[in-house]
Amino acid sequence: MSRHDELFQRLRNNVLEGPGHTDSALRQAVEQRVARASGRRGPAKPSEVPEVLRGYLDKLAQHAYKITEDDIEALHRAGYSDDAIFELSIAAAIGAGAARLERGLAALRSSA
Amino acid sequence: MRLKKVRDDHPWWIKLFFIALRKKYRSTVPDVLRALFYRKTFFGKPYSAWTQESLRGPSEWSVGERELMAAFTSRLNECQY
Repeated sequence: MSRHDELFQRLRNNVLEGPGHTDSALRQAVEQRVARASGRRGPAKPSEVPEVLRGYLDKLAQHAYKITEDDIEALHRAGYSDDAIFELSIAAAIGAGAARLERGLAALRSSA
Repeated sequence: MRLKKVRDDHPWWIKLFFIALRKKYRSTVPDVLRALFYRKTFFGKPYSAWTQESLRGPSEWSVGERELMAAFTSRLNECQY
């Protein structure tokens, strides 16, 4: 494994499996949902992401710049703390970035 | 920064660092820095180690070329960082 891969895995493991205010299983489900929305291939798994999070995550995956105060307030009203939103947003960002990295590397391998 | 805790809940030495940054650059502290410093072991520290390797580590691309690719990608994402 290259140093680059090792460091990315460390980041990924930290965010998805490390201690947090949210369940590791939820963070992993968020990462997978956003990664699939960002082009990661593979069999679709039933979503374990609560309905109330899905709109926010889908926006974050495709056009994060459209997220507003209202989106955050809706999550607060649904019971998610700032720490929970922070963790889930980072997990989603990891999914979005990882899917793009995977697709880029796959394109490189297929053209080699 | 829409999350109050991420904006404000930092140890005193980081708050001092933010004050110094504001004085030096005469502008508000970028939200990306607040996100990187908040609960550093969860995200900021491993993320910074990875981006440091990506942007500054051994590569066939120069640092400038990699910075340009990053800036272009940020622009596509309508992100100012």
